[in-house]
Amino acid sequence: MAPTLVTNCIRRLRFEHGEMTQQQLAERIGVTRQTVNAIEAGKYSPSLEVAFRIAEVFRARIDDVFLYNRGPATRPAMDGAPCE
Amino acid sequence: MSFREKTAWITLLAIVAVSLMYWFHMPNPFVPGPAPRVLHAMGASLAAYLIIELASWLLLRWRYPQDARAPCDERERLIDLRALRVAYYAFVVTAMAGIFVTLHLAGTGPVAVGMAVFMGFVLSQISKHAARILLYRRGF
Repeated sequence: MAPTLVTNCIRRLRFEHGEMTQQQLAERIGVTRQTVNAIEAGKYSPSLEVAFRIAEVFRARIDDVFLYNRGPATRPAMDGAPCE
Repeated sequence: MSFREKTAWITLLAIVAVSLMYWFHMPNPFVPGPAPRVLHAMGASLAAYLIIELASWLLLRWRYPQDARAPCDERERLIDLRALRVAYYAFVVTAMAGIFVTLHLAGTGPVAVGMAVFMGFVLSQISKHAARILLYRRGF
Protein backbone atom coordinates (compact mmCIF):
# COMPACT_ATOMS: atom_id res chain seq x y z
CA MET A 1 0.00 0.00 0.00
CA ALA A 2 1.39 3.42 -0.92
CA PRO A 3 2.54 5.63 1.96
CA THR A 4 0.42 8.67 2.70
CA LEU A 5 1.45 12.23 1.85
CA VAL A 6 1.48 12.99 5.57
CA THR A 7 4.75 12.21 7.27
CA ASN A 8 5.68 12.64 10.90
CA CYS A 9 8.43 12.93 13.48
CA ILE A 10 6.85 10.71 16.09
CA ARG A 11 9.77 8.31 16.32
CA ARG A 12 12.24 11.11 17.03
CA LEU A 13 9.86 12.78 19.48
CA ARG A 14 9.37 9.51 21.36
CA PHE A 15 13.09 9.10 21.85
CA GLU A 16 13.43 12.72 22.92
CA HIS A 17 10.76 12.14 25.54
CA GLY A 18 12.54 9.56 27.65
CA GLU A 19 12.60 6.86 24.98
CA MET A 20 8.85 6.50 25.23
CA THR A 21 7.70 3.17 23.78
CA GLN A 22 4.98 2.84 21.14
CA GLN A 23 2.85 1.08 23.75
CA GLN A 24 3.17 3.99 26.20
CA LEU A 25 2.25 6.50 23.51
CA ALA A 26 -0.65 4.30 22.39
CA GLU A 27 -2.04 4.16 25.93
CA ARG A 28 -1.81 7.93 26.31
CA ILE A 29 -3.64 8.69 23.08
CA GLY A 30 -6.16 5.83 23.30
CA VAL A 31 -5.23 3.67 20.32
CA THR A 32 -3.49 0.32 19.92
CA ARG A 33 0.29 -0.10 19.63
CA GLN A 34 -0.22 -1.40 16.09
CA THR A 35 -1.95 1.85 15.14
CA VAL A 36 0.94 3.93 16.50
CA ASN A 37 3.30 1.72 14.51
CA ALA A 38 1.22 2.23 11.33
CA ILE A 39 1.17 6.01 11.86
CA GLU A 40 4.94 6.14 12.43
CA ALA A 41 5.59 4.06 9.32
CA GLY A 42 3.42 6.38 7.23
CA LYS A 43 0.93 3.63 6.47
CA TYR A 44 -1.99 5.34 8.15
CA SER A 45 -2.95 9.01 8.53
CA PRO A 46 -4.63 9.52 11.89
CA SER A 47 -7.76 11.60 12.42
CA LEU A 48 -7.33 15.22 13.42
CA GLU A 49 -8.34 14.36 16.97
CA VAL A 50 -5.66 11.68 17.36
CA ALA A 51 -3.11 13.96 15.70
CA PHE A 52 -3.88 16.67 18.28
CA ARG A 53 -3.60 14.13 21.11
CA ILE A 54 -0.16 13.04 19.85
CA ALA A 55 0.99 16.65 19.65
CA GLU A 56 -0.33 17.25 23.17
CA VAL A 57 1.66 14.30 24.56
CA PHE A 58 4.87 15.80 23.14
CA ARG A 59 3.83 19.36 24.09
CA ALA A 60 4.39 20.35 20.47
CA ARG A 61 2.35 22.04 17.79
CA ILE A 62 0.58 19.73 15.38
CA ASP A 63 2.71 20.93 12.45
CA ASP A 64 5.86 20.15 14.42
CA VAL A 65 4.74 16.53 14.54
CA PHE A 66 3.04 16.07 11.16
CA LEU A 67 4.17 17.34 7.78
CA TYR A 68 2.21 17.43 4.57
CA ASN A 69 4.31 16.74 1.49
CA ARG A 70 2.89 17.89 -1.80
CA GLY A 71 3.65 15.80 -4.86
CA PRO A 72 4.87 12.21 -4.84
CA ALA A 73 4.78 10.54 -1.47
CA THR A 74 8.13 10.45 0.28
CA ARG A 75 9.14 9.49 3.75
CA PRO A 76 11.17 12.40 5.05
CA ALA A 77 10.52 11.32 8.63
CA MET A 78 12.49 8.17 7.92
CA ASP A 79 15.32 10.23 6.40
CA GLY A 80 15.11 12.67 9.25
CA ALA A 81 15.32 15.79 7.07
CA PRO A 82 12.19 17.85 7.94
CA CYS A 83 12.20 16.69 11.54
CA GLU A 84 15.60 18.07 12.42
CA MET B 1 -0.31 -8.94 15.91
CA SER B 2 -3.27 -7.04 17.37
CA PHE B 3 -6.09 -8.79 19.19
CA ARG B 4 -8.56 -8.03 16.40
CA GLU B 5 -6.22 -9.38 13.76
CA LYS B 6 -6.00 -12.60 15.75
CA THR B 7 -9.81 -12.79 15.90
CA ALA B 8 -9.95 -12.18 12.14
CA TRP B 9 -7.58 -15.11 11.56
CA ILE B 10 -9.64 -17.36 13.84
CA THR B 11 -12.92 -16.42 12.17
CA LEU B 12 -11.46 -16.89 8.68
CA LEU B 13 -9.99 -20.31 9.49
CA ALA B 14 -13.19 -21.42 11.27
CA ILE B 15 -15.37 -20.39 8.31
CA VAL B 16 -13.06 -22.08 5.78
CA ALA B 17 -12.86 -25.30 7.84
CA VAL B 18 -16.61 -25.52 8.49
CA SER B 19 -17.61 -24.61 4.93
CA LEU B 20 -15.21 -27.21 3.48
CA MET B 21 -16.75 -29.78 5.81
CA TYR B 22 -20.20 -28.63 4.72
CA TRP B 23 -19.53 -28.71 0.96
CA PHE B 24 -17.99 -32.18 1.14
CA HIS B 25 -20.79 -33.68 3.23
CA MET B 26 -23.86 -31.77 2.14
CA PRO B 27 -26.74 -33.59 0.46
CA ASN B 28 -26.67 -33.37 -3.33
CA PRO B 29 -28.96 -30.44 -4.26
CA PHE B 30 -29.52 -31.85 -7.75
CA VAL B 31 -31.07 -35.04 -6.45
CA PRO B 32 -34.73 -34.45 -5.59
CA GLY B 33 -35.23 -34.87 -1.90
CA PRO B 34 -36.68 -33.15 1.11
CA ALA B 35 -35.34 -29.64 1.80
CA PRO B 36 -35.01 -30.31 5.55
CA ARG B 37 -31.91 -32.48 4.87
CA VAL B 38 -30.10 -29.43 3.49
CA LEU B 39 -31.40 -27.27 6.31
CA HIS B 40 -30.12 -29.78 8.85
CA ALA B 41 -26.67 -29.76 7.22
CA MET B 42 -26.66 -25.94 7.24
CA GLY B 43 -27.81 -25.89 10.87
CA ALA B 44 -25.12 -28.37 11.94
CA SER B 45 -22.43 -26.37 10.12
CA LEU B 46 -23.61 -23.14 11.72
CA ALA B 47 -23.56 -24.77 15.16
CA ALA B 48 -20.03 -26.14 14.55
CA TYR B 49 -18.86 -22.70 13.43
CA LEU B 50 -20.35 -20.99 16.49
CA ILE B 51 -18.74 -23.52 18.85
CA ILE B 52 -15.29 -23.13 17.22
CA GLU B 53 -15.59 -19.34 17.17
CA LEU B 54 -16.76 -19.09 20.79
CA ALA B 55 -14.13 -21.52 22.11
CA SER B 56 -11.32 -19.73 20.24
CA TRP B 57 -12.54 -16.32 21.35
CA LEU B 58 -12.68 -17.43 25.00
CA LEU B 59 -9.17 -18.88 24.68
CA LEU B 60 -7.84 -15.63 23.20
CA ARG B 61 -9.62 -13.59 25.85
CA TRP B 62 -8.11 -15.75 28.59
CA ARG B 63 -4.62 -15.53 26.99
CA TYR B 64 -4.73 -11.76 26.29
CA PRO B 65 -7.20 -10.24 28.79
CA GLN B 66 -5.91 -6.67 28.51
CA ASP B 67 -6.05 -6.60 24.69
CA ALA B 68 -9.53 -8.13 24.72
CA ARG B 69 -10.88 -5.39 26.98
CA ALA B 70 -9.42 -2.55 24.89
CA PRO B 71 -12.04 -0.86 22.69
CA CYS B 72 -11.60 -0.62 18.91
CA ASP B 73 -9.62 2.41 17.85
CA GLU B 74 -10.32 4.54 14.77
CA ARG B 75 -8.01 2.57 12.46
CA GLU B 76 -9.61 -0.74 13.42
CA ARG B 77 -13.08 0.70 12.82
CA LEU B 78 -12.01 1.94 9.38
CA ILE B 79 -10.52 -1.46 8.55
CA ASP B 80 -13.81 -3.10 9.56
CA LEU B 81 -15.79 -0.70 7.35
CA ARG B 82 -13.54 -1.31 4.35
CA ALA B 83 -13.74 -5.07 4.86
CA LEU B 84 -17.53 -4.80 5.11
CA ARG B 85 -17.62 -3.03 1.75
CA VAL B 86 -15.53 -5.82 0.20
CA ALA B 87 -17.93 -8.38 1.70
CA TYR B 88 -20.96 -6.54 0.30
CA TYR B 89 -19.61 -6.60 -3.25
CA ALA B 90 -18.50 -10.23 -2.87
CA PHE B 91 -21.99 -11.19 -1.69
CA VAL B 92 -23.77 -9.38 -4.52
CA VAL B 93 -21.52 -10.89 -7.20
CA THR B 94 -21.45 -14.47 -5.85
CA ALA B 95 -25.14 -14.63 -4.92
CA MET B 96 -26.26 -13.23 -8.29
CA ALA B 97 -23.88 -15.53 -10.17
CA GLY B 98 -25.08 -18.48 -8.08
CA ILE B 99 -28.74 -17.72 -8.73
CA PHE B 100 -28.10 -17.23 -12.45
CA VAL B 101 -26.18 -20.50 -12.78
CA THR B 102 -28.61 -22.61 -10.73
CA LEU B 103 -31.66 -21.24 -12.57
CA HIS B 104 -30.05 -22.14 -15.91
CA LEU B 105 -29.12 -25.68 -14.90
CA ALA B 106 -31.66 -28.33 -15.61
CA GLY B 107 -33.23 -30.10 -12.70
CA THR B 108 -32.53 -27.52 -10.02
CA GLY B 109 -35.14 -26.34 -7.60
CA PRO B 110 -35.48 -23.81 -4.83
CA VAL B 111 -33.11 -25.82 -2.63
CA ALA B 112 -30.22 -25.34 -5.09
CA VAL B 113 -31.01 -21.62 -5.41
CA GLY B 114 -31.04 -21.30 -1.63
CA MET B 115 -27.71 -23.09 -1.42
CA ALA B 116 -26.26 -20.75 -4.05
CA VAL B 117 -27.27 -17.74 -1.97
CA PHE B 118 -25.86 -19.42 1.14
CA MET B 119 -22.59 -20.03 -0.71
CA GLY B 120 -22.55 -16.34 -1.65
CA PHE B 121 -22.94 -15.43 2.00
CA VAL B 122 -20.12 -17.77 3.07
CA LEU B 123 -17.79 -16.43 0.36
CA SER B 124 -18.62 -12.85 1.35
CA GLN B 125 -17.65 -13.62 4.96
CA ILE B 126 -14.41 -15.25 3.82
CA SER B 127 -13.57 -12.21 1.70
CA LYS B 128 -14.46 -9.87 4.58
CA HIS B 129 -12.06 -11.50 7.03
CA ALA B 130 -9.37 -11.97 4.36
CA ALA B 131 -9.66 -8.23 3.61
CA ARG B 132 -9.37 -7.41 7.31
CA ILE B 133 -6.19 -9.49 7.61
CA LEU B 134 -4.75 -7.94 4.44
CA LEU B 135 -5.45 -4.41 5.68
CA TYR B 136 -3.90 -5.17 9.07
CA ARG B 137 -0.85 -6.79 7.46
CA ARG B 138 -0.16 -4.32 4.65
CA GLY B 139 -1.07 -1.28 6.66
CA PHE B 140 -3.88 1.19 6.33
